[in-house]
Amino acid sequence: MILTGSAIAAAIQTGEITIDPFDPARLSPNAYDWRLGDTLRTCDGHLDAATPTTFTETGIPAAGTLLEPGLLYLGITHERTGSDTYAQLLNGDRTIGSLGIWVHVSAPLGHQGHAIRWTLEIQVAKPVRVYPGMTFGKLIFLTASGTPANYQQPQAKYATDGIDISRLYEEIEGPSL
Amino acid sequence: MILTGPEITAAAHDGRLTITPFEPAQVNPNSYNVRLGPTLVTYTSPVIDPHQPNPTQTVEIGPGGYVLQPGELYLGHTLERVGSDTFVPLLFGRSSVGRLGLFVEITAPIGDIGFHGQWTLMLSPIRPLRVYAGMKIGQIMFFVATGTVAPYRGKYQAATGPRPSCYWQDVARTSAVAS
Repeated sequence: MILTGSAIAAAIQTGEITIDPFDPARLSPNAYDWRLGDTLRTCDGHLDAATPTTFTETGIPAAGTLLEPGLLYLGITHERTGSDTYAQLLNGDRTIGSLGIWVHVSAPLGHQGHAIRWTLEIQVAKPVRVYPGMTFGKLIFLTASGTPANYQQPQAKYATDGIDISRLYEEIEGPSL
Repeated sequence: MILTGPEITAAAHDGRLTITPFEPAQVNPNSYNVRLGPTLVTYTSPVIDPHQPNPTQTVEIGPGGYVLQPGELYLGHTLERVGSDTFVPLLFGRSSVGRLGLFVEITAPIGDIGFHGQWTLMLSPIRPLRVYAGMKIGQIMFFVATGTVAPYRGKYQAATGPRPSCYWQDVARTSAVAS
């Protein structure tokens, strides 16, 4: 089941959901409308799942940053969100989608116990300008069935407050296999 | 409702869902990490036509991995056979893979209750990307359904390896009925 906006607000009050900073005006009928943070990493090289990704990091100025097709951008949510009670699904919204921006299409699930600012993978269909703090997507909360595990217990792979490159290389020995 | 990791493990043991092979270390708090199988398929004709079987070529990922190129569509597959007669499965990429600019599926994360087999992955990278067979590439989550179940009996049942689109089979059936 998906939480309604008022259920999300109630869960914020009880501490079952953390959204920081939280703005009640950003509650929609069944989601929270999250914002794009003010930092971007651009990846323009050849990538290898067995090697750390090279990138350049820049701030997004108030006048915006122009995103170009063919490049991989890693962004970050303005908000830190988490819940030990509910699972989260993060997506772009229809306003962003209709600008030709793919955001976080590949991995929308936030596990129970997962409380971070989300690293966003972004690509664009056409050149498009983005601005810091702009409303970028929707975050929904799902009730869970079964005994909860805690993401922090077995592994805290991505638990930082900045943009994270993939750490898949830690699991792969690489071409020398 | 989405299943917790401990509930996925319990359901894998009591048969409400199947993941073969099942490895406890691949269970997450609300999902299961699936691995990339060794076979990739690409379409070889310049235009893909849903009304025809489309010619393909097959590549096996070697020990040194394989470089996926932007602009190409690679059909891959999960190493695991996954299905459930009870829960609705949803497949997405892992965040570690999304951060490498790789789309693991395109527009179709929702599975059918009653489908059992290897899942076809629709791989499309933003930048050239080397991938490796056996790497943990996606996450399958399971949702509780409400209502009576009419299980999947579709054209991809019991899939092994990547399965190209079989839309043309539906077209052939429709025109047979029409004529």
